[in-house]
Amino acid sequence: MNDMNQSKARKLLAVFAHPDDETFICGGTLAKYAAEGVEITLVSATRGEMGRRMGNPPYLNRETIAAAREKELQAACDSLGIGRLMFLDIRDKTVEFIDEESLTARIENLIQDIAPDVVLTFHEKLGGHPDHCSIGKATTAAYHRARCKGALYFISFGDRMEHPEPYGYAPEDILKIDVSDHLESKLAAFRAHRCQSEIDEWVWLPDSEALDRFGKVEYFINGDASAPILNSGDLFQPAGSRPVMAGVNH
Amino acid sequence: MVNIDRMQVEAELRKFVGAAAFIHSEATSYVFVRNFKVEVTDAFIAGDGEGPYRAALRFDGHGWLRMEGLTHYELDPAGRLLLAGFDDRGRMDVALHLGKEPFPE
Repeated sequence: MNDMNQSKARKLLAVFAHPDDETFICGGTLAKYAAEGVEITLVSATRGEMGRRMGNPPYLNRETIAAAREKELQAACDSLGIGRLMFLDIRDKTVEFIDEESLTARIENLIQDIAPDVVLTFHEKLGGHPDHCSIGKATTAAYHRARCKGALYFISFGDRMEHPEPYGYAPEDILKIDVSDHLESKLAAFRAHRCQSEIDEWVWLPDSEALDRFGKVEYFINGDASAPILNSGDLFQPAGSRPVMAGVNH
Repeated sequence: MVNIDRMQVEAELRKFVGAAAFIHSEATSYVFVRNFKVEVTDAFIAGDGEGPYRAALRFDGHGWLRMEGLTHYELDPAGRLLLAGFDDRGRMDVALHLGKEPFPE
């Protein structure tokens, strides 16, 4: 247990775009911190209702998929230990067209209410999907505006941040979270997202074989240049490492 | 959804002819249109054997909507006709939905 906030639970706020982002990208990390007693709130901008995958063979259609994905995400949250799930009720694939100011304000209000120690979102340029980049941009702006006392990190696909230089980052900007003890939870969450993961045969292999497919480490990019990383193995940095006015716009 | 039965779908499509309908249409990886309201003049489905099928609507006296690659259909509990095209691994390629009321935004 980290030595900060011993008297009250640490809090993590994750703001992503689609059901399954939390599991497929950083499910091991969320499971790890949930197991340590961190209170996790997951915000999904959409219900992923415009996705292509509908099970294999398909068991959903465009009109039934939203409710099904909400249910599957809730089950994934249960597997990972995420206590609170919220939606922004934006239609999938339209996040970049939503009024940016009001979206940022909604997230800022959430940050004010929750007062998280850690905020996770997408990098606004490296997100890989327009919805990802847009929710990342709005969340980053909201984090700064709220003068959040916590830290901001961008989630990252696979092990690409093992070598961050091509993306404009240095190794000291990168956190590596060891998730090797939490891969069972991650696999359960993958399987909970059945309509998305059914097409990937490896997910449904016997557990030991499926677990072998996961990396042992998940990578995060420091999203707040005013707060250097002191412990690259923990999202929750040592007490006293944060500047007094962390989060001021720069 | 079940595999398209051309005769069945043709009969269901005909029920939308001569009245206003709300349309959801998509080529999943590229475009979707939700809730455009048209007066359906004609409705067609074509293709033989096991499909996939082509469907077309004429609307408002001068409009066309044509789509191919349709494989599955469903008349849902709300009375909406849902047509879709899936690939061999369950991924949606196209969809065409017709309803008398707007689809949820």
